[in-house]
Amino acid sequence: MRRRKAGPSGVVEAPLDVRSQVQAREEGLLSVAKGRLKTYEPGDNVRKFLDLLGRRVSRPLAVSLTACVHCGLCAESCHYFLARPHDPTMTPVWKADQIRKIFKRYVDWTGRVVPWWVKAGSVHDDEDLNRLKNIVFGTCSACRRCSYNCPMGVDTALLVRFTRGLLTELGIVPEGVFNVSRDQWETGNQMAVTETDYLETLGWMRDELRTELGTDTVEIPVDRPDCEVLYTINPREIKFDPRSIAHAAKIFHVAGESWTLPKWGWDQTNFGLFSGDDKLGAFVARNVYEAAERLRAKRIVISECGHGYRSTRWEGYTWADFDQKRPTESVVITLKRYLEEGRIAVDPGRNTEPVTFHDSCNIARSGDLVEEPREVLARVCADFREMFPNRRENFCCTGGGGLLSMAEYRPLRLEVAKIKADQLRATGAKLVCTMCHNCVDGLNDVIKHYKLPMRVVQVLELVANALVVPEKSSR
Amino acid sequence: MPYIEIEERKVEVNEEGFLTHPQEWTEETAKFLAKAEEGLEELTPEHWAVVKFIRDYYLEKNLAPMVRKICQATGFPLMKIYDLFPSGPAKGACKVAGLPKPDGCV
Repeated sequence: MRRRKAGPSGVVEAPLDVRSQVQAREEGLLSVAKGRLKTYEPGDNVRKFLDLLGRRVSRPLAVSLTACVHCGLCAESCHYFLARPHDPTMTPVWKADQIRKIFKRYVDWTGRVVPWWVKAGSVHDDEDLNRLKNIVFGTCSACRRCSYNCPMGVDTALLVRFTRGLLTELGIVPEGVFNVSRDQWETGNQMAVTETDYLETLGWMRDELRTELGTDTVEIPVDRPDCEVLYTINPREIKFDPRSIAHAAKIFHVAGESWTLPKWGWDQTNFGLFSGDDKLGAFVARNVYEAAERLRAKRIVISECGHGYRSTRWEGYTWADFDQKRPTESVVITLKRYLEEGRIAVDPGRNTEPVTFHDSCNIARSGDLVEEPREVLARVCADFREMFPNRRENFCCTGGGGLLSMAEYRPLRLEVAKIKADQLRATGAKLVCTMCHNCVDGLNDVIKHYKLPMRVVQVLELVANALVVPEKSSR
Repeated sequence: MPYIEIEERKVEVNEEGFLTHPQEWTEETAKFLAKAEEGLEELTPEHWAVVKFIRDYYLEKNLAPMVRKICQATGFPLMKIYDLFPSGPAKGACKVAGLPKPDGCV
Protein backbone atom coordinates (compact mmCIF):
# COMPACT_ATOMS: atom_id res chain seq x y z
CA MET A 1 0.00 0.00 0.00
CA ARG A 2 1.15 3.51 -0.79
CA ARG A 3 2.33 5.59 2.13
CA ARG A 4 3.04 9.28 2.33
CA LYS A 5 6.65 10.12 3.09
CA ALA A 6 7.56 11.66 6.41
CA GLY A 7 7.24 15.46 6.43
CA PRO A 8 10.02 17.93 7.19
CA SER A 9 9.32 17.67 10.91
CA GLY A 10 10.39 14.11 10.43
CA VAL A 11 7.64 12.14 11.93
CA VAL A 12 3.97 11.75 11.08
CA GLU A 13 2.88 8.80 8.98
CA ALA A 14 0.03 9.30 6.52
CA PRO A 15 -3.42 8.25 7.70
CA LEU A 16 -5.04 5.25 6.08
CA ASP A 17 -6.22 5.70 2.53
CA VAL A 18 -9.90 6.34 2.06
CA ARG A 19 -10.99 3.10 0.48
CA SER A 20 -14.04 0.93 0.42
CA GLN A 21 -14.20 -2.05 2.75
CA VAL A 22 -14.24 -4.39 -0.24
CA GLN A 23 -10.95 -3.03 -1.47
CA ALA A 24 -9.49 -3.13 2.02
CA ARG A 25 -10.50 -6.73 2.41
CA GLU A 26 -9.15 -7.74 -0.99
CA GLU A 27 -5.82 -6.24 -0.09
CA GLY A 28 -5.95 -7.78 3.35
CA LEU A 29 -6.76 -11.23 1.98
CA LEU A 30 -3.98 -10.95 -0.53
CA SER A 31 -1.64 -9.98 2.25
CA VAL A 32 -2.67 -13.13 4.11
CA ALA A 33 -2.00 -15.29 1.08
CA LYS A 34 1.35 -14.01 0.01
CA GLY A 35 2.43 -10.77 1.46
CA ARG A 36 2.34 -8.47 4.38
CA LEU A 37 0.63 -10.66 6.92
CA LYS A 38 2.66 -13.82 7.18
CA THR A 39 4.51 -16.11 9.47
CA TYR A 40 8.22 -15.82 9.91
CA GLU A 41 10.67 -16.39 7.11
CA PRO A 42 14.37 -15.52 7.24
CA GLY A 43 15.58 -12.69 5.06
CA ASP A 44 16.43 -9.05 5.07
CA ASN A 45 14.34 -8.40 8.15
CA VAL A 46 16.63 -6.02 10.05
CA ARG A 47 16.80 -3.55 7.16
CA LYS A 48 13.02 -3.68 6.71
CA PHE A 49 12.50 -3.23 10.43
CA LEU A 50 14.68 -0.12 10.60
CA ASP A 51 13.08 1.25 7.47
CA LEU A 52 9.57 0.86 8.90
CA LEU A 53 10.66 2.30 12.24
CA GLY A 54 12.03 5.41 10.58
CA ARG A 55 8.84 6.01 8.63
CA ARG A 56 6.35 5.33 11.38
CA VAL A 57 7.40 7.32 14.41
CA SER A 58 4.55 9.74 15.09
CA ARG A 59 4.42 12.73 17.45
CA PRO A 60 2.93 10.89 20.44
CA LEU A 61 5.45 8.10 19.91
CA ALA A 62 8.33 10.56 19.71
CA VAL A 63 7.25 12.05 23.05
CA SER A 64 7.15 8.62 24.69
CA LEU A 65 10.49 7.75 23.14
CA THR A 66 12.29 10.86 24.33
CA ALA A 67 10.59 12.05 27.54
CA CYS A 68 11.64 9.16 29.82
CA VAL A 69 13.95 10.28 32.64
CA HIS A 70 14.45 6.75 34.01
CA CYS A 71 12.95 7.60 37.41
CA GLY A 72 11.71 4.04 37.90
CA LEU A 73 8.16 4.82 39.00
CA CYS A 74 6.80 2.58 36.26
CA ALA A 75 8.44 -0.43 37.88
CA GLU A 76 6.17 -0.18 40.90
CA SER A 77 3.13 -0.09 38.62
CA CYS A 78 3.94 -3.25 36.71
CA HIS A 79 2.67 -6.61 37.93
CA TYR A 80 5.54 -8.32 36.10
CA PHE A 81 8.11 -6.44 38.16
CA LEU A 82 6.14 -6.62 41.43
CA ALA A 83 6.05 -10.39 41.11
CA ARG A 84 9.74 -10.58 40.11
CA PRO A 85 11.29 -7.68 42.03
CA HIS A 86 14.88 -8.81 41.44
CA ASP A 87 14.60 -8.93 37.68
CA PRO A 88 15.31 -5.55 36.03
CA THR A 89 14.17 -6.87 32.63
CA MET A 90 10.65 -6.94 34.03
CA THR A 91 10.46 -3.16 34.45
CA PRO A 92 8.45 -1.25 31.82
CA VAL A 93 11.37 1.14 31.34
CA TRP A 94 13.73 -1.70 30.38
CA LYS A 95 11.19 -3.10 27.92
CA ALA A 96 10.65 0.36 26.40
CA ASP A 97 14.40 0.97 26.26
CA GLN A 98 14.81 -1.97 23.88
CA ILE A 99 12.96 -0.01 21.20
CA ARG A 100 14.09 3.38 22.51
CA LYS A 101 17.76 2.59 21.93
CA ILE A 102 17.08 1.76 18.27
CA PHE A 103 15.12 4.99 17.86
CA LYS A 104 18.03 6.93 19.41
CA ARG A 105 20.52 5.27 17.11
CA TYR A 106 18.64 5.79 13.84
CA VAL A 107 16.13 8.61 14.25
CA ASP A 108 16.92 10.93 17.17
CA TRP A 109 19.79 13.39 16.73
CA THR A 110 21.13 12.78 20.25
CA GLY A 111 21.96 9.20 19.34
CA ARG A 112 23.84 10.31 16.27
CA VAL A 113 25.90 12.89 18.20
CA VAL A 114 26.47 11.20 21.55
CA PRO A 115 25.38 7.56 21.13
CA TRP A 116 27.32 6.31 24.19
CA TRP A 117 25.66 8.90 26.41
CA VAL A 118 22.05 8.24 25.40
CA LYS A 119 22.69 4.48 25.18
CA ALA A 120 21.85 4.17 21.51
CA GLY A 121 21.85 0.63 20.16
CA SER A 122 20.64 -1.52 17.32
CA VAL A 123 19.34 -4.88 16.23
CA HIS A 124 21.76 -6.93 14.18
CA ASP A 125 20.07 -10.11 13.07
CA ASP A 126 16.86 -12.09 13.15
CA GLU A 127 17.73 -13.46 16.55
CA ASP A 128 17.69 -9.91 17.95
CA LEU A 129 14.31 -9.30 16.35
CA ASN A 130 13.00 -12.53 17.79
CA ARG A 131 14.24 -11.47 21.21
CA LEU A 132 12.42 -8.18 20.74
CA LYS A 133 9.27 -10.13 19.86
CA ASN A 134 9.49 -12.10 23.09
CA ILE A 135 9.81 -8.85 25.02
CA VAL A 136 6.94 -6.90 23.46
CA PHE A 137 4.54 -9.83 23.08
CA GLY A 138 5.60 -11.98 25.99
CA THR A 139 6.46 -9.72 28.92
CA CYS A 140 3.82 -7.00 28.68
CA SER A 141 0.05 -7.28 28.72
CA ALA A 142 -0.22 -3.68 27.47
CA CYS A 143 -2.35 -2.85 30.50
CA ARG A 144 -1.10 0.78 30.58
CA ARG A 145 -0.84 0.88 34.36
CA CYS A 146 2.72 2.21 34.00
CA SER A 147 1.57 4.77 31.43
CA TYR A 148 -1.10 5.96 33.84
CA ASN A 149 1.43 6.39 36.63
CA CYS A 150 4.26 7.95 34.62
CA PRO A 151 4.99 11.53 35.76
CA MET A 152 6.45 12.34 32.34
CA GLY A 153 3.48 11.04 30.39
CA VAL A 154 5.43 8.25 28.72
CA ASP A 155 3.04 5.69 27.25
CA THR A 156 5.07 2.50 27.37
CA ALA A 157 2.14 0.41 26.15
CA LEU A 158 1.99 2.61 23.05
CA LEU A 159 5.66 1.84 22.38
CA VAL A 160 4.97 -1.85 22.89
CA ARG A 161 2.08 -1.77 20.43
CA PHE A 162 4.16 0.19 17.94
CA THR A 163 6.97 -2.36 18.11
CA ARG A 164 4.49 -5.22 17.80
CA GLY A 165 3.16 -3.57 14.66
CA LEU A 166 6.62 -3.41 13.08
CA LEU A 167 7.32 -7.05 13.89
CA THR A 168 3.87 -8.16 12.71
CA GLU A 169 4.56 -6.60 9.35
CA LEU A 170 7.72 -8.71 9.10
CA GLY A 171 5.92 -11.88 10.09
CA ILE A 172 7.80 -12.06 13.39
CA VAL A 173 4.63 -12.66 15.35
CA PRO A 174 3.32 -15.34 17.73
CA GLU A 175 1.36 -18.01 15.92
CA GLY A 176 -1.83 -17.36 17.89
CA VAL A 177 -1.89 -13.71 16.89
CA PHE A 178 -1.25 -14.61 13.26
CA ASN A 179 -4.08 -17.16 13.19
CA VAL A 180 -6.63 -14.77 14.65
CA SER A 181 -5.58 -11.92 12.34
CA ARG A 182 -5.93 -14.23 9.36
CA ASP A 183 -9.41 -15.29 10.48
CA GLN A 184 -10.51 -11.68 10.93
CA TRP A 185 -9.39 -10.79 7.42
CA GLU A 186 -10.88 -13.89 5.86
CA THR A 187 -14.20 -14.23 7.66
CA GLY A 188 -14.76 -10.83 9.31
CA ASN A 189 -14.67 -12.45 12.75
CA GLN A 190 -11.86 -13.76 14.90
CA MET A 191 -13.10 -17.35 15.24
CA ALA A 192 -13.99 -18.01 11.60
CA VAL A 193 -17.67 -18.53 12.38
CA THR A 194 -19.69 -18.99 9.19
CA GLU A 195 -22.86 -17.02 8.53
CA THR A 196 -24.97 -20.17 8.70
CA ASP A 197 -23.53 -21.14 12.08
CA TYR A 198 -23.97 -17.60 13.35
CA LEU A 199 -27.64 -17.43 12.37
CA GLU A 200 -28.33 -20.90 13.65
CA THR A 201 -26.84 -20.22 17.07
CA LEU A 202 -28.89 -17.03 17.38
CA GLY A 203 -32.03 -18.97 16.43
CA TRP A 204 -31.19 -21.59 19.02
CA MET A 205 -30.80 -19.00 21.76
CA ARG A 206 -34.11 -17.41 20.73
CA ASP A 207 -35.88 -20.76 21.02
CA GLU A 208 -34.32 -21.46 24.43
CA LEU A 209 -35.44 -18.04 25.62
CA ARG A 210 -38.96 -18.58 24.31
CA THR A 211 -39.18 -21.78 26.30
CA GLU A 212 -37.78 -20.09 29.41
CA LEU A 213 -40.16 -17.12 29.29
CA GLY A 214 -43.10 -19.09 27.90
CA THR A 215 -43.83 -16.65 25.08
CA ASP A 216 -43.33 -16.51 21.35
CA THR A 217 -42.83 -12.76 21.34
CA VAL A 218 -39.12 -12.94 22.23
CA GLU A 219 -36.88 -12.29 19.26
CA ILE A 220 -33.20 -12.10 18.39
CA PRO A 221 -33.48 -10.01 15.23
CA VAL A 222 -30.76 -10.00 12.57
CA ASP A 223 -30.29 -7.19 10.05
CA ARG A 224 -33.47 -5.35 11.00
CA PRO A 225 -33.28 -1.75 9.80
CA ASP A 226 -34.04 1.45 11.75
CA CYS A 227 -33.56 0.02 15.23
CA GLU A 228 -32.53 1.98 18.29
CA VAL A 229 -29.68 -0.41 19.12
CA LEU A 230 -27.20 -2.27 16.93
CA TYR A 231 -25.79 -4.95 19.21
CA THR A 232 -22.31 -6.25 18.44
CA ILE A 233 -20.63 -9.18 20.14
CA ASN A 234 -17.47 -11.21 20.69
CA PRO A 235 -17.30 -14.34 18.43
CA ARG A 236 -16.53 -16.37 21.51
CA GLU A 237 -20.15 -15.77 22.53
CA ILE A 238 -21.35 -17.45 19.34
CA LYS A 239 -18.84 -20.24 19.16
CA PHE A 240 -18.44 -21.40 22.75
CA ASP A 241 -20.62 -19.51 25.19
CA PRO A 242 -23.89 -18.10 23.84
CA ARG A 243 -25.38 -17.74 27.34
CA SER A 244 -24.45 -14.06 27.34
CA ILE A 245 -26.40 -13.48 24.11
CA ALA A 246 -29.46 -15.02 25.74
CA HIS A 247 -28.97 -12.79 28.81
CA ALA A 248 -28.76 -9.67 26.65
CA ALA A 249 -31.78 -10.71 24.56
CA LYS A 250 -33.82 -11.36 27.69
CA ILE A 251 -33.04 -7.92 29.09
CA PHE A 252 -33.68 -6.17 25.75
CA HIS A 253 -37.01 -7.99 25.53
CA VAL A 254 -38.15 -6.98 29.00
CA ALA A 255 -36.97 -3.39 28.45
CA GLY A 256 -38.97 -3.28 25.21
CA GLU A 257 -35.90 -2.26 23.22
CA SER A 258 -35.90 -2.13 19.43
CA TRP A 259 -32.63 -3.85 18.64
CA THR A 260 -30.84 -5.99 16.10
CA LEU A 261 -27.61 -7.81 15.39
CA PRO A 262 -26.04 -7.28 11.97
CA LYS A 263 -25.46 -10.15 9.56
CA TRP A 264 -22.00 -8.80 8.74
CA GLY A 265 -19.95 -6.57 11.03
CA TRP A 266 -21.11 -8.23 14.26
CA ASP A 267 -17.59 -8.86 15.62
CA GLN A 268 -16.57 -5.91 17.79
CA THR A 269 -13.28 -7.50 18.87
CA ASN A 270 -10.19 -6.36 17.06
CA PHE A 271 -6.81 -8.07 16.95
CA GLY A 272 -5.39 -5.00 15.26
CA LEU A 273 -5.18 -3.53 18.76
CA PHE A 274 -3.01 -6.41 19.96
CA SER A 275 -0.85 -6.98 16.90
CA GLY A 276 -0.27 -3.28 16.28
CA ASP A 277 -1.63 -3.65 12.75
CA ASP A 278 -3.62 -0.46 12.11
CA LYS A 279 -4.92 -1.73 8.77
CA LEU A 280 -6.59 -4.72 10.36
CA GLY A 281 -7.84 -2.42 13.11
CA ALA A 282 -9.39 -0.16 10.49
CA PHE A 283 -11.01 -3.02 8.58
CA VAL A 284 -12.66 -4.63 11.59
CA ALA A 285 -13.83 -1.40 13.22
CA ARG A 286 -15.22 -0.14 9.95
CA ASN A 287 -17.22 -3.34 9.47
CA VAL A 288 -19.12 -2.40 12.61
CA TYR A 289 -19.57 1.27 11.72
CA GLU A 290 -20.78 0.41 8.23
CA ALA A 291 -23.24 -2.13 9.60
CA ALA A 292 -24.78 0.61 11.75
CA GLU A 293 -24.91 2.95 8.77
CA ARG A 294 -26.43 0.32 6.49
CA LEU A 295 -29.15 -0.56 9.00
CA ARG A 296 -29.65 3.08 10.08
CA ALA A 297 -29.32 2.10 13.75
CA LYS A 298 -29.40 4.96 16.26
CA ARG A 299 -26.52 3.70 18.36
CA ILE A 300 -23.92 0.94 18.50
CA VAL A 301 -23.93 -1.14 21.67
CA ILE A 302 -20.86 -3.26 22.42
CA SER A 303 -21.21 -6.43 24.51
CA GLU A 304 -18.96 -6.93 27.51
CA CYS A 305 -15.48 -6.98 25.98
CA GLY A 306 -12.51 -4.89 27.05
CA HIS A 307 -10.35 -4.60 23.95
CA GLY A 308 -13.44 -4.60 21.75
CA TYR A 309 -14.79 -1.63 23.66
CA ARG A 310 -11.53 0.25 23.36
CA SER A 311 -11.15 -0.60 19.67
CA THR A 312 -14.71 0.15 18.63
CA ARG A 313 -15.43 3.07 20.93
CA TRP A 314 -12.07 4.85 20.85
CA GLU A 315 -9.21 3.67 18.68
CA GLY A 316 -11.40 2.57 15.75
CA TYR A 317 -12.55 6.14 15.18
CA THR A 318 -9.00 7.03 14.23
CA TRP A 319 -8.05 3.83 12.43
CA ALA A 320 -11.15 3.43 10.27
CA ASP A 321 -11.07 6.84 8.63
CA PHE A 322 -14.86 6.74 8.66
CA ASP A 323 -17.24 9.53 9.50
CA GLN A 324 -18.46 7.75 12.60
CA LYS A 325 -21.01 9.99 14.30
CA ARG A 326 -23.25 7.45 16.00
CA PRO A 327 -22.99 7.12 19.75
CA THR A 328 -21.09 3.97 20.64
CA GLU A 329 -21.53 2.56 24.12
CA SER A 330 -20.88 -0.47 26.24
CA VAL A 331 -23.91 -2.60 27.07
CA VAL A 332 -23.28 -1.72 30.72
CA ILE A 333 -24.19 1.90 29.96
CA THR A 334 -27.37 0.64 28.30
CA LEU A 335 -28.19 -1.43 31.39
CA LYS A 336 -27.59 1.57 33.62
CA ARG A 337 -30.00 3.62 31.52
CA TYR A 338 -32.69 0.93 31.75
CA LEU A 339 -32.34 0.87 35.52
CA GLU A 340 -32.45 4.65 35.83
CA GLU A 341 -35.43 4.99 33.53
CA GLY A 342 -37.24 2.16 35.27
CA ARG A 343 -37.47 0.10 32.09
CA ILE A 344 -36.35 -3.01 33.95
CA ALA A 345 -36.93 -4.02 37.54
CA VAL A 346 -34.35 -5.99 39.49
CA ASP A 347 -34.22 -7.85 42.77
CA PRO A 348 -30.75 -7.78 44.39
CA GLY A 349 -31.94 -10.54 46.73
CA ARG A 350 -31.32 -13.02 43.90
CA ASN A 351 -27.56 -12.32 43.91
CA THR A 352 -26.66 -12.88 47.53
CA GLU A 353 -23.10 -14.18 47.21
CA PRO A 354 -20.41 -11.58 47.91
CA VAL A 355 -19.29 -9.99 44.62
CA THR A 356 -16.17 -8.01 43.81
CA PHE A 357 -15.50 -6.09 40.59
CA HIS A 358 -12.43 -6.40 38.39
CA ASP A 359 -11.87 -3.31 36.21
CA SER A 360 -10.71 -4.31 32.76
CA CYS A 361 -7.63 -2.30 31.72
CA ASN A 362 -9.04 -1.41 28.33
CA ILE A 363 -12.33 -0.30 29.83
CA ALA A 364 -11.29 1.57 33.00
CA ARG A 365 -7.79 2.86 32.31
CA SER A 366 -8.03 3.24 28.53
CA GLY A 367 -11.78 3.61 28.15
CA ASP A 368 -12.67 5.80 31.14
CA LEU A 369 -15.68 3.68 32.03
CA VAL A 370 -15.35 3.34 35.79
CA GLU A 371 -18.37 4.25 37.89
CA GLU A 372 -21.12 3.00 35.58
CA PRO A 373 -20.59 -0.74 36.20
CA ARG A 374 -20.46 -0.06 39.94
CA GLU A 375 -23.78 1.75 39.81
CA VAL A 376 -25.32 -1.21 38.01
CA LEU A 377 -23.82 -3.74 40.43
CA ALA A 378 -25.05 -1.72 43.41
CA ARG A 379 -28.58 -2.23 42.10
CA VAL A 380 -28.37 -5.96 41.34
CA CYS A 381 -26.12 -7.41 44.09
CA ALA A 382 -26.78 -7.69 47.80
CA ASP A 383 -23.12 -7.81 48.90
CA PHE A 384 -20.63 -5.80 46.83
CA ARG A 385 -16.97 -5.42 47.87
CA GLU A 386 -14.25 -3.39 46.19
CA MET A 387 -10.87 -4.97 45.57
CA PHE A 388 -7.76 -2.89 46.15
CA PRO A 389 -6.29 -1.18 44.21
CA ASN A 390 -9.33 -0.61 42.01
CA ARG A 391 -10.75 1.53 39.22
CA ARG A 392 -8.02 3.02 36.99
CA GLU A 393 -5.33 1.62 39.30
CA ASN A 394 -6.51 -1.98 39.08
CA PHE A 395 -4.07 -4.71 38.09
CA CYS A 396 -4.48 -6.57 34.80
CA CYS A 397 -6.16 -10.00 34.78
CA THR A 398 -2.75 -11.00 33.28
CA GLY A 399 -4.40 -12.20 30.06
CA GLY A 400 -4.58 -8.78 28.39
CA GLY A 401 -2.84 -7.53 25.27
CA GLY A 402 -3.70 -10.73 23.40
CA LEU A 403 -1.64 -12.86 25.81
CA LEU A 404 -4.48 -15.36 26.12
CA SER A 405 -3.96 -16.38 22.53
CA MET A 406 -0.19 -16.83 22.96
CA ALA A 407 0.27 -20.09 24.85
CA GLU A 408 4.07 -19.85 24.69
CA TYR A 409 4.11 -17.03 27.26
CA ARG A 410 1.70 -18.65 29.68
CA PRO A 411 4.19 -19.87 32.33
CA LEU A 412 5.50 -16.34 32.96
CA ARG A 413 1.98 -14.94 32.83
CA LEU A 414 0.82 -17.32 35.55
CA GLU A 415 3.91 -16.67 37.64
CA VAL A 416 3.31 -12.92 37.74
CA ALA A 417 -0.41 -13.52 38.28
CA LYS A 418 0.55 -13.88 41.94
CA ILE A 419 -0.23 -10.16 42.30
CA LYS A 420 -3.72 -10.62 40.90
CA ALA A 421 -4.30 -13.74 42.99
CA ASP A 422 -3.39 -11.93 46.22
CA GLN A 423 -5.68 -9.07 45.27
CA LEU A 424 -8.59 -11.42 44.56
CA ARG A 425 -8.05 -13.49 47.68
CA ALA A 426 -8.06 -10.43 49.94
CA THR A 427 -11.60 -9.48 48.92
CA GLY A 428 -13.08 -12.65 50.40
CA ALA A 429 -15.69 -12.54 47.63
CA LYS A 430 -17.17 -15.66 46.08
CA LEU A 431 -17.82 -14.05 42.72
CA VAL A 432 -15.57 -11.77 40.73
CA CYS A 433 -17.48 -9.74 38.18
CA THR A 434 -15.85 -8.27 35.10
CA MET A 435 -17.13 -6.70 31.90
CA CYS A 436 -14.57 -8.30 29.58
CA HIS A 437 -14.56 -11.77 27.99
CA ASN A 438 -10.79 -11.76 27.89
CA CYS A 439 -10.64 -11.03 31.62
CA VAL A 440 -13.09 -13.90 32.22
CA ASP A 441 -10.57 -16.37 30.83
CA GLY A 442 -7.58 -14.55 32.32
CA LEU A 443 -9.16 -14.59 35.79
CA ASN A 444 -10.29 -18.20 35.38
CA ASP A 445 -6.67 -19.15 34.72
CA VAL A 446 -5.54 -17.27 37.84
CA ILE A 447 -8.28 -18.84 39.97
CA LYS A 448 -7.43 -22.33 38.74
CA HIS A 449 -3.68 -21.91 39.10
CA TYR A 450 -3.79 -20.37 42.58
CA LYS A 451 -6.76 -22.49 43.70
CA LEU A 452 -8.96 -19.58 44.75
CA PRO A 453 -12.51 -20.35 45.94
CA MET A 454 -14.11 -18.00 43.39
CA ARG A 455 -16.12 -17.95 40.20
CA VAL A 456 -16.05 -15.35 37.41
CA VAL A 457 -19.29 -13.72 36.29
CA GLN A 458 -20.19 -10.83 34.02
CA VAL A 459 -22.49 -7.87 34.53
CA LEU A 460 -25.09 -9.18 32.07
CA GLU A 461 -25.30 -12.47 33.92
CA LEU A 462 -25.89 -10.79 37.29
CA VAL A 463 -28.47 -8.40 35.83
CA ALA A 464 -30.27 -11.19 33.97
CA ASN A 465 -30.29 -13.20 37.19
CA ALA A 466 -31.78 -10.34 39.19
CA LEU A 467 -34.23 -9.37 36.47
CA VAL A 468 -37.89 -9.40 37.52
CA VAL A 469 -39.83 -10.51 34.45
CA PRO A 470 -43.25 -8.82 34.53
CA GLU A 471 -46.36 -10.87 33.70
CA LYS A 472 -47.06 -9.08 30.43
CA SER A 473 -43.65 -9.85 28.90
CA SER A 474 -43.81 -13.49 29.70
CA ARG A 475 -47.29 -14.00 28.33
CA MET B 1 8.09 -28.61 25.61
CA PRO B 2 6.14 -29.85 28.64
CA TYR B 3 4.72 -33.35 28.49
CA ILE B 4 2.41 -35.64 30.40
CA GLU B 5 3.08 -39.29 31.10
CA ILE B 6 0.38 -41.85 30.42
CA GLU B 7 1.17 -45.52 31.02
CA GLU B 8 4.89 -44.84 30.59
CA ARG B 9 4.28 -43.06 27.30
CA LYS B 10 5.27 -39.42 26.98
CA VAL B 11 2.69 -37.18 25.35
CA GLU B 12 3.68 -33.66 24.43
CA VAL B 13 1.33 -30.86 25.47
CA ASN B 14 1.54 -27.09 25.08
CA GLU B 15 1.89 -24.62 27.95
CA GLU B 16 -1.85 -24.65 28.46
CA GLY B 17 -2.15 -28.42 28.60
CA PHE B 18 -3.57 -28.91 25.08
CA LEU B 19 -2.06 -31.80 23.11
CA THR B 20 0.67 -30.68 20.71
CA HIS B 21 -0.04 -33.56 18.34
CA PRO B 22 -3.79 -34.29 18.38
CA GLN B 23 -3.24 -37.63 16.62
CA GLU B 24 -1.56 -38.96 19.79
CA TRP B 25 -4.89 -38.92 21.61
CA THR B 26 -6.22 -42.14 23.13
CA GLU B 27 -9.06 -42.84 25.55
CA GLU B 28 -6.48 -43.11 28.30
CA THR B 29 -5.28 -39.61 27.42
CA ALA B 30 -8.84 -38.34 27.76
CA LYS B 31 -9.16 -39.89 31.22
CA PHE B 32 -5.86 -38.43 32.29
CA LEU B 33 -6.66 -34.92 31.01
CA ALA B 34 -10.15 -35.02 32.51
CA LYS B 35 -8.69 -35.75 35.92
CA ALA B 36 -5.73 -33.39 35.73
CA GLU B 37 -7.40 -30.44 34.05
CA GLU B 38 -11.06 -30.71 34.99
CA GLY B 39 -10.89 -32.62 38.26
CA LEU B 40 -13.16 -35.35 36.90
CA GLU B 41 -12.47 -38.66 38.61
CA GLU B 42 -14.49 -40.60 36.13
CA LEU B 43 -15.83 -40.04 32.63
CA THR B 44 -19.49 -41.00 32.41
CA PRO B 45 -21.20 -42.05 29.14
CA GLU B 46 -22.47 -38.47 28.93
CA HIS B 47 -18.91 -37.13 29.02
CA TRP B 48 -17.89 -39.64 26.36
CA ALA B 49 -20.77 -38.62 24.12
CA VAL B 50 -19.48 -35.04 24.12
CA VAL B 51 -15.81 -36.00 23.79
CA LYS B 52 -16.40 -38.49 20.96
CA PHE B 53 -18.51 -36.03 18.99
CA ILE B 54 -15.86 -33.28 19.31
CA ARG B 55 -13.16 -35.75 18.35
CA ASP B 56 -14.98 -37.02 15.25
CA TYR B 57 -15.90 -33.52 14.17
CA TYR B 58 -12.30 -32.40 14.51
CA LEU B 59 -10.92 -35.36 12.57
CA GLU B 60 -13.37 -34.69 9.77
CA LYS B 61 -13.16 -30.89 9.55
CA ASN B 62 -9.90 -30.01 11.33
CA LEU B 63 -11.89 -27.53 13.39
CA ALA B 64 -13.35 -27.32 16.88
CA PRO B 65 -17.16 -27.58 16.68
CA MET B 66 -19.40 -24.76 17.81
CA VAL B 67 -21.16 -25.44 21.07
CA ARG B 68 -24.41 -25.44 19.07
CA LYS B 69 -23.23 -28.49 17.14
CA ILE B 70 -22.22 -30.27 20.34
CA CYS B 71 -25.66 -29.72 21.84
CA GLN B 72 -27.43 -30.77 18.64
CA ALA B 73 -25.46 -33.98 18.32
CA THR B 74 -25.70 -35.05 21.95
CA GLY B 75 -29.14 -33.65 22.66
CA PHE B 76 -27.89 -31.94 25.82
CA PRO B 77 -29.05 -28.44 26.78
CA LEU B 78 -26.35 -25.76 26.93
CA MET B 79 -26.05 -25.70 30.71
CA LYS B 80 -25.45 -29.45 30.75
CA ILE B 81 -22.16 -28.96 28.90
CA TYR B 82 -20.96 -26.64 31.68
CA ASP B 83 -22.10 -29.15 34.31
CA LEU B 84 -20.12 -31.90 32.58
CA PHE B 85 -17.01 -29.81 31.89
CA PRO B 86 -16.53 -27.00 34.42
CA SER B 87 -14.06 -25.11 32.18
CA GLY B 88 -16.63 -25.02 29.39
CA PRO B 89 -16.64 -26.39 25.86
CA ALA B 90 -13.39 -24.76 24.67
CA LYS B 91 -10.97 -25.12 27.55
CA GLY B 92 -12.67 -28.16 29.05
CA ALA B 93 -14.29 -30.49 26.54
CA CYS B 94 -12.03 -29.70 23.57
CA LYS B 95 -8.94 -30.22 25.72
CA VAL B 96 -10.12 -33.61 26.95
CA ALA B 97 -10.96 -34.57 23.36
CA GLY B 98 -7.32 -33.90 22.45
CA LEU B 99 -7.84 -30.90 20.20
CA PRO B 100 -5.16 -28.22 19.89
CA LYS B 101 -5.87 -24.90 21.61
CA PRO B 102 -8.66 -23.02 19.81
CA ASP B 103 -7.59 -19.63 18.40
CA GLY B 104 -8.76 -16.30 19.74
CA CYS B 105 -10.00 -14.88 23.03
CA VAL B 106 -10.34 -18.21 24.83
